Amino acid sequence: MRNRDRQLRPFRMDLHVHTALSPCASEEMTPPAITAAAREKGLDVIAVCDHNTAGNVAAVREAADAAGGQPFVIAGIEISTAEEVHVLGLFPNVAAAERAAARVTALLPRTVDLFPGHRRRYQTYFGEQTLLDARGRARGEERAALALATSLSLAAAVALIHHEKGVAVAAHIDRPSYSVYSQLGLFPKEAGFDGAEVSRHLEEGSPRSEEFAALGLPLLRGSDSHFLAELGTVFSLAWMAEPSFTEFVLCLAGTGGRRLESPLAAREQGKHDHA
Amino acid sequence: MRLDEMAKLLELEALTPTCAESLASEDITQGYASDLLSDVLAHAPAGGVLVTLQVHLNVIAVASHAGLRAVIFSSGRTPEPDVVERAAEEGLALFGARADTFEIVGRLYQFGLRGSTGTLGSTGACGHDGPEKLGP
Repeated sequence: MRNRDRQLRPFRMDLHVHTALSPCASEEMTPPAITAAAREKGLDVIAVCDHNTAGNVAAVREAADAAGGQPFVIAGIEISTAEEVHVLGLFPNVAAAERAAARVTALLPRTVDLFPGHRRRYQTYFGEQTLLDARGRARGEERAALALATSLSLAAAVALIHHEKGVAVAAHIDRPSYSVYSQLGLFPKEAGFDGAEVSRHLEEGSPRSEEFAALGLPLLRGSDSHFLAELGTVFSLAWMAEPSFTEFVLCLAGTGGRRLESPLAAREQGKHDHA
Repeated sequence: MRLDEMAKLLELEALTPTCAESLASEDITQGYASDLLSDVLAHAPAGGVLVTLQVHLNVIAVASHAGLRAVIFSSGRTPEPDVVERAAEEGLALFGARADTFEIVGRLYQFGLRGSTGTLGSTGACGHDGPEKLGP
């Protein structure tokens, strides 16, 4: 399992990608479009993390499988906690993500109940929530109001992710909204996060980088893509044996020489390669 | 106003009664209302009271750091026991309120408490009365 003999190679991972199911994401974020764009941009691993749902994860995985398994798709979710902190859950398989997501989605009101007498007003304000198949065809729409915060406390969200053997990541910690720092002022060391994500907005040499590095958590960099053009604009560079969830977990733990390059270094590398 | 009077008039439930008692005669003149703890950390006035919906443990760390005397949890929000415990250790008076933030803050303003910026009304830093000077 550990593949200690196998050579470690750098893999590009963008572990924060939305699909058209997220109300705020573009309708162009379909499974085939996302996986094709990921290949074009040289991403080896992506994680699908829609707001409070994993409803399109299987379709994106299937779209990647149809293209020879490129990129490797990690099943994920972005949970909005009661504190309005965004937490990424990354799971060992689609079923685990869907089980966790079912518990999250069930906490949200239905879109039709938010604006009585106005069945489509939610969509007007927040956007469409389109469930898609692997070919990018609409197969329905999510009825829960995904744009809202759940009643799960941060601790409960992390526990739910861990219950399904998932990895809990504090999302876009450098952002002025929906981040651990913006909502809670200080990073809660006791929260049990397995990693923290910095966004594409964090500038190189920002004094906050040192603060984030001092958290003692693996730092990821995700694009938080809501549009195709954003996909892969930043990524994490992970040295591991192959693109898989098991390897990703070993990489976070630093097992057998596996490691994550510092997020800012990864961006530099990206600039270089694209030049 | 005295903290014990505030608690009585707003029908607050003391969650850390020992702290509330020892701070009873404390004169509270300023307050802050926010659910973003990063904002509280940056702007809450020392010695003041915080009104918030946020019940995460970090409220206590942030309130202590900002030098606040008391925290009122609005709309019936109730913190977990570990939050109350930490507040008791820090000597922070925690209160629960059924009323929402708007109601509580409105009442506190009536009682004479002011915010940290003091740009409205007669508490402006330069001593001028604000509203009368506005308009053509």
